[in-house]
Amino acid sequence: MPKVIKLYVRYIEMLNRTVGRITMYLIFVMMGILLFATISRSVFNVPYIWVIEMAQFTMAAYYLLGGAYTLQNDAHVRMDLLYDRWSPKKRAFADSLTAFCLVFYLGVLLYGGFSSTQYALEYGQKNYSAWAPPMAPIKIIMTIGIFLMLLQAIAMFFRDLATVTGKDIA
Amino acid sequence: MSYEWIALMMFSSMMLMLLTGQRVFGAIGFVAMVSSLLLWGNGGSEMAFSASIKLLNWYPLLTLPLFIFMGYMLSESGIASDLYHMLHVWMGRVRGGLAIGTIVLMVAISAMNGLSVAGMAIGSSIALPEMLKRKYDKKMITGVIQAGSSLGILVPPSVVLVLYGMIARQPVSHLWLAGVVPGLLLATMFIIYIAIRCRLQPELGPVLDEDERKISIPEKLKLLHTGLIPLFIIFSVIGLFVMGVTSLVESSAVGALAATLAALFKRRLTFKVLEATMVKTLNVSSMFMWIILAALCFGAVFDGLGAVKAIEHLFLDKWGLSPWEVLILMQLSYIIMGMFLDDTAMLVIVAPLYIPLIIALNFNAIWYGVLYTITCQIAYMTPPFGYNLFLMKAMAPKEITLRDIYLSITPFVLVMIVALILIMVFPQIALWLPEKVFAN
Repeated sequence: MPKVIKLYVRYIEMLNRTVGRITMYLIFVMMGILLFATISRSVFNVPYIWVIEMAQFTMAAYYLLGGAYTLQNDAHVRMDLLYDRWSPKKRAFADSLTAFCLVFYLGVLLYGGFSSTQYALEYGQKNYSAWAPPMAPIKIIMTIGIFLMLLQAIAMFFRDLATVTGKDIA
Repeated sequence: MSYEWIALMMFSSMMLMLLTGQRVFGAIGFVAMVSSLLLWGNGGSEMAFSASIKLLNWYPLLTLPLFIFMGYMLSESGIASDLYHMLHVWMGRVRGGLAIGTIVLMVAISAMNGLSVAGMAIGSSIALPEMLKRKYDKKMITGVIQAGSSLGILVPPSVVLVLYGMIARQPVSHLWLAGVVPGLLLATMFIIYIAIRCRLQPELGPVLDEDERKISIPEKLKLLHTGLIPLFIIFSVIGLFVMGVTSLVESSAVGALAATLAALFKRRLTFKVLEATMVKTLNVSSMFMWIILAALCFGAVFDGLGAVKAIEHLFLDKWGLSPWEVLILMQLSYIIMGMFLDDTAMLVIVAPLYIPLIIALNFNAIWYGVLYTITCQIAYMTPPFGYNLFLMKAMAPKEITLRDIYLSITPFVLVMIVALILIMVFPQIALWLPEKVFAN
């Protein structure tokens, strides 16, 4: 494997691991926001208009920014009817062929994310709600998450390729 | 090319892509995007990202990561296994008592957890070895654990019913309550079966020996208070929600907090437990979300093609089926697909086609949610490719072979089919509780 690819795989995996390990704490942010809302509404009878959307934004950041790390952990289900019976090498071969599909889907997703973010920035798009927060910040975060996922998918492709050719990568 | 053919092509290319073993979300998303680009050109490219905005605005989905967190917190901190020991001591005197205790344990775990995998993991790692040691029949107990863990997605909080609610556009609160009575009915039927079977064939589930039964009363009472923790957690989730103190999403946050506090109170909240819980929660939540994201996109393309109308036309006009025949046909197709697909994938791909049809045929969508859930569970337990069967094989001790597992589930599947028919004939079993609670 060329050195550039080795470096790419190493740094992308390190980056995504770091982002993922930080993102996993967002579960406590979601819990915190919702518990705050529960107590302020049911005990002090003070409802806040921003809690629902804030929790939703956190969830979007949680699964999109954390996505690349979970891809690294191989946490995404596959239909393992045949896959389960194959040797590691055969699995890597199948994955390296179908990696194109994954990259294609993520690419289209990223393209949509770009154009949607651009629209939100240009027209100062706001969410239809009482709070009406601007949509651009969360869309930027979501697009970054998708981009990291794409980078990780490419890194996985190189890994599979290395397994198939029996070469060392990291 | 007619729209029906495009829909059929999409469906078969997706099945083919899934067979390659690529991640489910990638396979679904790819087929959806290629078809959308081919059909609508550049305009179709926005579809993928707009699905993520749809997902963002769907409030009840927030319950998903929080319930997953709650479940992992309970199993990682060992609270669930404490519960088993309590039941073990209290039920040891009865013939087949440990097997009955395991069903009770599964009901408790189901009421604290939204996935069925958790119940299976706890059952096969804790209850199974204990029962094997006490000479319980291995075919009996593997069946018990598989049947018991299937209650996980029926008894609230149920993640599958949350997803069903999203697709069917039905209130999750009604769905959850609709699952309570059928879940308890199933558990009772399992227990009756075990009790009768062990009375007829005592060698299947022997009582504990003298030594083990000689536990003093104070010690027994001391063990009883471990049972209070699950009660506290179940109340904080379902109780507060049913009483109207918290909303659905809020109660999931309260449940997550209650589980964390319980672990802290038991002095089990180490950094290792916390870290394992967080990583697993992110893994599972992210997996679910990415599949839903891709499936929403797939569903949008199918909607654009009018696939629902096409299926309706096929069933009702071309084949001339009666509503009940359509319903039974759908259930059978779930059983066939359940051999290949896992629950989320099946739900997000097939349900958007079937549920509008169910509503058009004047069936109750809440009731159908319960039927769907039980049918899925039967599907995962039916050989040759039941999803749960392999999971069980992976988790169980080595002396349990795949053949044992295949043989073990037969009586329990029969019990489940009886329950399914009961609920089909008497919809009130499912609908009574939600109607009662939401009457005013």
